[in-house]
Amino acid sequence: MPNIELIGVDKSYVAGQYAVRDLHLTIPDGGFMCLLGPSGCGKTTTLRMIAGLEQPTRGDIRVGSRLLDSVGKGLFVPPEKRGMGLVFQSYALWPHMTVTRNVEFGLMMRKTPTAQRAQRAAEAMEMLHIAEYAARYPSQLSGGQQQRVALARMLAVDPEVMLLDEPLSNLDARLRLEMRAEIKRIHQRSHATVVLVTHDQLEAMTMATHVTVMNEGVVEQTGTPMEVYERPASVFVAQFVGSPPMNTMPFGSADVGGPGATVADYVAARVGRPPTDGTGGVRPEALNIAYADADVPDGAWRAPAVVETVLPTGSAWTVQLRCHGEPLYVQSYRKIETTPGAEVTLWATAADLHVFDADGRRLTGWDQFLREQRTGRQPAAGPAVASGSGR
Amino acid sequence: MAVIDRPAPPAPPPSTQTPASRWGRIRYRARVLLAEPTTLIGIALVLIFGYLVIAPLVAIVSDAARVQFGDDSRAGAPAGSLTGYYLWRVFRSPISASLFWEPLSHTVVVGLGVVVFAVVLGGSMAWLVTRTNVPGRKFLAGALVVPYMLPSWTFALAWLTLFKNGRSGGTPGFLETWGVQTPDWLAYGAVPIIVTLGLHYYPFVFLLFGNALRRIDSQLEESARVLGANRSQGMRHVVLPLLLPSLSSAVLLVLGRVLGTFGTPYILGLPTDYAMLSTSLYRSIHTRAPGVAAVIAAVIVLLGVLVVLIDMRLVREQRRFVTIGGKGSMDRAADLRRWRWPAYGLAMAVFVTSVVVPLMTLALSTVTYAPGVFRADNFTLKFWTAESIPEAVGFPHGLLRSDDLYEAMWNSLRIVGMASLVCGVVGLMVGYVVARSPSRRLSGTLRQVSFLPYLVPGIAFAAAYLTLFAVPRGPIPALYGTTLLLVVVMAITHLPYSSRSGISAMMQLGREPEEAAQVAGAGWLTRLRRIVLPIQKGALTTGVLLPFISGLKELSIVIMLTTASTPLLTTLSINLVDFGYRQQANAAVLIIAALSFTVTYLAQRATRSNLATGLGG
Repeated sequence: MPNIELIGVDKSYVAGQYAVRDLHLTIPDGGFMCLLGPSGCGKTTTLRMIAGLEQPTRGDIRVGSRLLDSVGKGLFVPPEKRGMGLVFQSYALWPHMTVTRNVEFGLMMRKTPTAQRAQRAAEAMEMLHIAEYAARYPSQLSGGQQQRVALARMLAVDPEVMLLDEPLSNLDARLRLEMRAEIKRIHQRSHATVVLVTHDQLEAMTMATHVTVMNEGVVEQTGTPMEVYERPASVFVAQFVGSPPMNTMPFGSADVGGPGATVADYVAARVGRPPTDGTGGVRPEALNIAYADADVPDGAWRAPAVVETVLPTGSAWTVQLRCHGEPLYVQSYRKIETTPGAEVTLWATAADLHVFDADGRRLTGWDQFLREQRTGRQPAAGPAVASGSGR
Repeated sequence: MAVIDRPAPPAPPPSTQTPASRWGRIRYRARVLLAEPTTLIGIALVLIFGYLVIAPLVAIVSDAARVQFGDDSRAGAPAGSLTGYYLWRVFRSPISASLFWEPLSHTVVVGLGVVVFAVVLGGSMAWLVTRTNVPGRKFLAGALVVPYMLPSWTFALAWLTLFKNGRSGGTPGFLETWGVQTPDWLAYGAVPIIVTLGLHYYPFVFLLFGNALRRIDSQLEESARVLGANRSQGMRHVVLPLLLPSLSSAVLLVLGRVLGTFGTPYILGLPTDYAMLSTSLYRSIHTRAPGVAAVIAAVIVLLGVLVVLIDMRLVREQRRFVTIGGKGSMDRAADLRRWRWPAYGLAMAVFVTSVVVPLMTLALSTVTYAPGVFRADNFTLKFWTAESIPEAVGFPHGLLRSDDLYEAMWNSLRIVGMASLVCGVVGLMVGYVVARSPSRRLSGTLRQVSFLPYLVPGIAFAAAYLTLFAVPRGPIPALYGTTLLLVVVMAITHLPYSSRSGISAMMQLGREPEEAAQVAGAGWLTRLRRIVLPIQKGALTTGVLLPFISGLKELSIVIMLTTASTPLLTTLSINLVDFGYRQQANAAVLIIAALSFTVTYLAQRATRSNLATGLGG
């Protein structure tokens, strides 16, 4: 159970254009790493490079003490010698083999003795509840069953590294929930190092121990799911993780509400010179609606807004409002009594505000301020809010 | 104030390349490419194809521009030196009219005539079968493809059997026996060639155009109608523009085929000296004028390339239309109402004319002494079964009694079988390399090189191989007259079709099943044996059967390259035509037709697919 290391990896198909650029990533031993990002962000390429199916243009890939790719040293271990497990998005079951033969294939390649092979295949199929389909061909199975066969095929060889490429994207909502739990259970039982690629932030949040958010071939942030959710490192991450996405307001937007009405003003009043050209953000579930000014706690950020629509989902209420000309969402698990056109006040506590600089990177100065507030120290009247230094 | 900067990320390593790291990168790349033999196989294929395709073409050009052995006095230069003599002889000399210009104009006339004939017939039949409620659509869809499964010169022989007049000797035609003296223009030359080739090639238009018609989503036309277009406007502005590319593709394909066709113009043109480029080429080779033959072959190649380039351009244009294919719900058929049965009658008439009449004519001619006389004492099986037919000196047996037939049949099956086996396997290999090679340049090159033979009409290819391998070249001995040469030429000419189907099969399979096996620990050979081949069993079968079917009835290539020592069924039949033994010649063609039809039928049953849609050769 080794940790996987990618060191300075580039992948470019056309000279000058990078699918993955200068990727430094460590996936801890026994961890469950989720590569998250929109399509075309390089996450699948990264996974395929770990498997050896694609080759980096630069950099090293190492699993434990074993160097698998090293462009600099001219070293390449072909996929069949890496001993990993991989589940494809399309499952890639072999149509001419029965379920059993599919599951046994990897063991056969490892020259496992016949008796042991049958037993381990049976165990894997048992574990995924597909034993009854053992004699069927993949075309005779439903999508969910095929998915289970693909997982069993990987599990049978008990690999130390399990790679999953959008394994749940072809399933319907109910099956997806079921398989999410299944995969998490498999990881917990096997203690293998798992890398899962997905564009579904919910999958990443629910299953992974670590999340890496990628965008255009570059890592935006790596951390635990809660870190990524609570302290998104960039506007991109903030909007990609969470549903509905985080409300963001550019600092330049009209501040008709007077001082303190825009996030920028609010932030400036607390940490000094207002950052021009940045972005403020607040999650819909951290945003509150007040019908009277008196209901807003002291020191909270507030702004006037007009209700546009109410979208009840059954378990929650989502309200769309317009604030300083920008559309915002509020989400609450308690019923929100309001009607379209109502003028209300929005508020959020300082701790729920996220501040990003002009490059979209998280403003660490603001986090520092919040941390000091929490520990009770008063911030000195500081010179300015310095911004992060970009990428 | 404790507001701190976010720590800057570690500076990326400098991207300047040291020589050591460049060396490492090259080594890395080599390791990746050599991790499996795909790349080596691809390079080998490119080299072999390159030689087998390009060398003959170079040989043509060189032969056209060099004084040939024995021509030194006429060309006024020693053999082997550069000369414009052959160009002069073909294009400007007193005999260039009969050598080149007349055959060229005949080829153009016949080409256009066949295209019009095939488009009218194939197009209208396609419309009837795909877009109307004509009765028996399913039967017609299969029946109207049958003419393409018969050897193309079947129709020529049938035509001659019906319309032959006193100009050529041997058995008279049906009409002549009935006392009708057919004029020469009806018996020989342009008109019969156009009609018989048209009857052979209309299935082409029928298939291509029919597929396009079927793919057009009727909702496209319906939306036009809802927006206020009337029926003819909808047709003109929506349907026709969508059909045009497939129609022009079919037209150009037919043109390309006519360019290289040999049997029909040979049989129907010879009596009145109506030569086309293909027959003129054949004549030049037969009269031992290789320089002239090379010039004519080069012209045929040029014309072939031109046709294909135009076709490719149009197909590329067509790509623009692909995305709107929709669900292909073309089920809404036009109701012919009281024209249903007349339309059915028309379609059946086409079927009868293009399949039943020719086959029946041929069959009847083989069991009668005097053609067209249906009296009991005129019927005989002797041309099939007689121990000896003394009056036919050149072939004094009933066909089924002669060892020549079985030898030819065995040769055909053996040579065509080998060629198609090679073709199917190589086609799949090409597909594998194109789909799998980690080097895009290699897969692109291989794809193009394997497509090259498509540009060259078969007869010109055969001429080129003749020039190339008539004498020993380097380490390669003179191959003329060997079965190896026939196998190579047949395989190469069918290579574009088989590699195209191999590529599409491998692309359709996708990389993932094989990658899954690779990750599971399977090496290259294991993957090939356990994953790729079992899955591609069907594609491989088709890839072998298609060249086999078209190879069985192949004549233009074979006529140039076979010798008396290796007769094939097709050359046997043409020999019988040359002897003037009409009954036996017709019987031989019937045997070829029966063989090719049976194999097609069995292949369709075996692969559960409609081979007709993939017929290329």
